[in-house]
Amino acid sequence: MKPGVLGTALLAATCTVLTGCVTATVDEMVFNEPTEGIGDSTVVILGRRHASDYETEPDFIQCVGKRIASRDRSIEVIGELEFINALYPWFEPRTAPLRPQDIDRLLLHRPVAEKMAALRTEYMIWIDGNTVRTDSAGSMTCGIGPGGAGCFGFGTWNNDANYEATIWDFTDRAEVGRINTSASGQSYMPAVVVPIPIIAPVQGTACDSIGDQLLEFLSSEF
Amino acid sequence: MWHSMTSAPDARRWRLPAAILLLVVLTGCGPSTVVVQGSFPPPLLDPLPLRMGVWYDEAFAGHEFFDEAKSRRESDWLVKTGEAQVQMWNTLLGGMFRELVQMKGRPGPNQMNQLVDAVLVPHVDELQYAIPTHTNVKVYEIWMRYRFELLTTSGDPIADWTMTAYGKTPTAFLQSDEAAVNLAAVVALRDAGANFATHFTRVPEVREWLESRATTRGEAEP
Repeated sequence: MKPGVLGTALLAATCTVLTGCVTATVDEMVFNEPTEGIGDSTVVILGRRHASDYETEPDFIQCVGKRIASRDRSIEVIGELEFINALYPWFEPRTAPLRPQDIDRLLLHRPVAEKMAALRTEYMIWIDGNTVRTDSAGSMTCGIGPGGAGCFGFGTWNNDANYEATIWDFTDRAEVGRINTSASGQSYMPAVVVPIPIIAPVQGTACDSIGDQLLEFLSSEF
Repeated sequence: MWHSMTSAPDARRWRLPAAILLLVVLTGCGPSTVVVQGSFPPPLLDPLPLRMGVWYDEAFAGHEFFDEAKSRRESDWLVKTGEAQVQMWNTLLGGMFRELVQMKGRPGPNQMNQLVDAVLVPHVDELQYAIPTHTNVKVYEIWMRYRFELLTTSGDPIADWTMTAYGKTPTAFLQSDEAAVNLAAVVALRDAGANFATHFTRVPEVREWLESRATTRGEAEP
């Protein structure tokens, strides 16, 4: 093995070992059995942004979309920003439909109906939730001097992720299911001169869980 | 002589670090400045059959908000929204009406202007912002109250109403306060556009004016 390859392998192994543990739970409610994939249609994943004290992270929405598209390449996921820009001002927090029945009200506007037909959207998935740091402990001191810089101490914190995906069948104007995922994990940061972060990928685990579960609705392969 | 020959290069060597240090110190003393920048999509609407004029007064086109720090731990804030306001309203109104005309001056009896159906004059009456250090909530917020005047070309009032807009963005890793306030302002501007686009024809005086125009045109046509 070449030294460069060995180094990369060692680094990857170290990163794998230096990852905090995450526990995740996924609940699913199905109101209408999924059909055999979405065929030529497209799917859009949107974040709910009307709560006053939190906001569904745009990067989480992007992560779920990427997860779905990477596991079934036949599924076309429209980017969130692309979709809400194309349909501005109808999917802003103030104007976004809250129930599947509201889609009929939207389609009364001729340009909206035309745009939706052009986008071939079959499923609209709303994700509501966020990832928060629940508690933290420990302390760390960092210093800088003529001889160099360094840190000493230990820190630990918990992250909790809670997301709910609501799936709307755009053609039937009906809610077809809900998926709830919660994940939590503890991260650590010991520091002896150099801080070594051992991060629990809480949001990433929640993203993978919800993405995999959504594939059961969207893909004919799952 | 020897001293002067060696000290001159020494002084030159320290000039750059000293200038950088001075710049850092002076930067720390100045207010946190945000020149709001963003892109705003055109609205997906059937344009109203109006040749609408718009007049941005100096206070609107150069709108800025200054907030003095309440304590030594906080910094002053200067949020310049004028350029982004004009950009957003031009894009929105351009898509809302059959034709948008930039007026040469505020409509009045002695003001020579282009011939239009009505002139919209927007004002920012109030702007408030909140950052996590103010509220202990991990969200950056911008709130604006607008006042709109709809005038005839001779300056007579048709309608006068107020409207609010709100934008927020969560804290994000490696995102500066300035970038987050900018993003919250862009969201607030989008919200202003969404609110205006969906409520313009529901303003009682505007609705009456539109109905009277429709009646007049109906009577004029055989």
